[in-house]
Amino acid sequence: MLYKQLLGTENQNNLKLLSIMNKTIIININGIVFHIEEDAYEILKNYMTEVKRHFSNSADSLEITTDIENRIAEMFGEVLLKDNRQVIVEQDVNQVVEQMGSVADFENADNDNDHAPYISEPDKRRLFRDPDDHLVAGVCAGIANYFNIDTVWIRLAFALFIPVGGSGLLLYLILWIIVPKATSRADKMAMKGEKQNLQGFKKNFEDEMSSMRQNISNFGDEAKPFVYKARDFVGDFFHHLGVFFNGAGKVLIKLVGIFILLASFSAAVFLVVMFIGILAFHADFGDHFFPFRIIKNELADQVILTSFIVAFIPVLTIILVTFKGIFNVGSVGKSTGTVLLVLWLCSLGMLIFFATKIASGFREQATLTETVSVKPTKNNTYYLKLNDLKYFSKEDSIRLDIKNKFKGIVVTDDDYNDFHNGPRSVTLYVERSDVSTPRLEETFRANGANYEAALYNARNTNYIFAQQDTVLKFDYTLRHRPNMSWHAEEVFLTLKVPLNAKVIIDQKLDNYIQGVNLYECRDLNRRDNKANFTIYTMTDNGLQCKVDTGTVAKKDSVAIDTAKR
Amino acid sequence: MIVENTQTQMRKGILEYCILSIIAKGETYASDIIAELKKAQLLVVEGTLYPLLTRLKNNGLLTYNWVESTSGPPRKYYILSDEGRKVLEQLDTTWEELAFAVQTAIGDRKSK
Repeated sequence: MLYKQLLGTENQNNLKLLSIMNKTIIININGIVFHIEEDAYEILKNYMTEVKRHFSNSADSLEITTDIENRIAEMFGEVLLKDNRQVIVEQDVNQVVEQMGSVADFENADNDNDHAPYISEPDKRRLFRDPDDHLVAGVCAGIANYFNIDTVWIRLAFALFIPVGGSGLLLYLILWIIVPKATSRADKMAMKGEKQNLQGFKKNFEDEMSSMRQNISNFGDEAKPFVYKARDFVGDFFHHLGVFFNGAGKVLIKLVGIFILLASFSAAVFLVVMFIGILAFHADFGDHFFPFRIIKNELADQVILTSFIVAFIPVLTIILVTFKGIFNVGSVGKSTGTVLLVLWLCSLGMLIFFATKIASGFREQATLTETVSVKPTKNNTYYLKLNDLKYFSKEDSIRLDIKNKFKGIVVTDDDYNDFHNGPRSVTLYVERSDVSTPRLEETFRANGANYEAALYNARNTNYIFAQQDTVLKFDYTLRHRPNMSWHAEEVFLTLKVPLNAKVIIDQKLDNYIQGVNLYECRDLNRRDNKANFTIYTMTDNGLQCKVDTGTVAKKDSVAIDTAKR
Repeated sequence: MIVENTQTQMRKGILEYCILSIIAKGETYASDIIAELKKAQLLVVEGTLYPLLTRLKNNGLLTYNWVESTSGPPRKYYILSDEGRKVLEQLDTTWEELAFAVQTAIGDRKSK
């Protein structure tokens, strides 16, 4: 596109001439930079404005004007090279204009296009806001005009949808913003599907839109053929999509369009609410859900922003394409499309960057093992239970004054339920102890960017294990310090009990214990079906299910027993 | 006025045929097309060619490749698509018929 970059550098070429020096301007035509005299620039600018206005009615306006601009840039380049000059003067511009032809020449050529088989000037209706029949902004009247039905039905539909989460109101506001007002006579005729015989009514709106497109498309300055191709592809895509929908032109497709629009609007609203909710109000979506758990660190805001863009742009594109393709309103210029595409790709790239950055925090793994002694019990019996008590950090207990206010009261954990949705961080094994005393081995494992960090993360976790006589209470989760991000911390517990120890396992531990099947064992003891615990005996081969006959069930008999049933 | 109109109409009718024919010779840049058309005195200004090319392209008769240029922005080099080739063949036939018809009509008149 043509635009001024700098004013006021003196004309280097004609310094020696006595004539009044002309100001030189640096302009940029689709990425090619030229020095041009101010007078020449004015002529060129007026010419291009006229050309753009002339082609603004055409669907291919941008492509045609870009072709012309590129050619002008090329001709300038050639003339400068030929005369070995640096500055474009008035004469050059006039020559170029002469070669390219004035708008009057174009109009002569166009006059006969009316009969051309390729141009199909559609008499289809276009969606506008109706300024002549409006309660608020004329959105409903415009839609009614578009579908050629009575306005009252559309208004009724919007009114009915207002209580549904305000969606009617929101849709109205969005349409108010997107749908242009019918300002000119041509607009109003198009809105009501009347034939436009008068070419003279040029659409102010389209002029504005095309000038807006031009502003945006400056980004193509450094354009390489690839960008051109991408832009043309996007343009062609919308073009063919538009042709397809116009050709089909069926009510069905419009209904599908409305459905797509509603779905995309809800998706967009959902995304925006999520985004604002997270960023502005720090809404807590829980540490338990995977994506939120992992990004709880200093990158969170950027990650959320880029995720939002990555998700929002496709939705926005669907909305715009649907509007353009089905309702023939709004404008997805090739450049707008490209800008969105580039923005989306950038965000996607950033998201991948963040993902690798976060993933690099998981590169190394470290484990460390601690052994906790367990007091031997009198009759060599151990009750294994799940602990659902709430534990407070030191700060919390001081803040809440636990000692005084909750004296003698047991606080159970709100978060706790049988299947809490966090990642399972606790795994319990029961093995035979080589020595006569029982003990518990706690192996902590965590990931980190390097080994030291991983070890630090593993050390920063805490597991609560409590023994009350014969009852061993296992906490359901690892505790780690607040504000620490998740690094795949896990703890593997190995309870080593002496030979012939009686191990009674609470049914609630089923999710955590490995190596034995509590339900299978319980089924063998049918009388105890209601029992919420299972009894095992420690043998040389590990835990064996204790069947209520009193004998230890061997593997073979278990199989037969199961087969009989 | 009417004469002028008829002349333009006649030119217009064969303009697209000529453009397709020129492009059928191989990859062609817009200004090459212009040069040939100017030689044939079919077109005087370049500006009118670009809408035509865009329209032919959008109708699937043409495609183009971007080629880097030393003297300016990348250039579009146009080529005929398969469909364009078919259309051109049809136009060839039509042209022969027309030429024959005109020849016959003129021949009759001139021989009088």
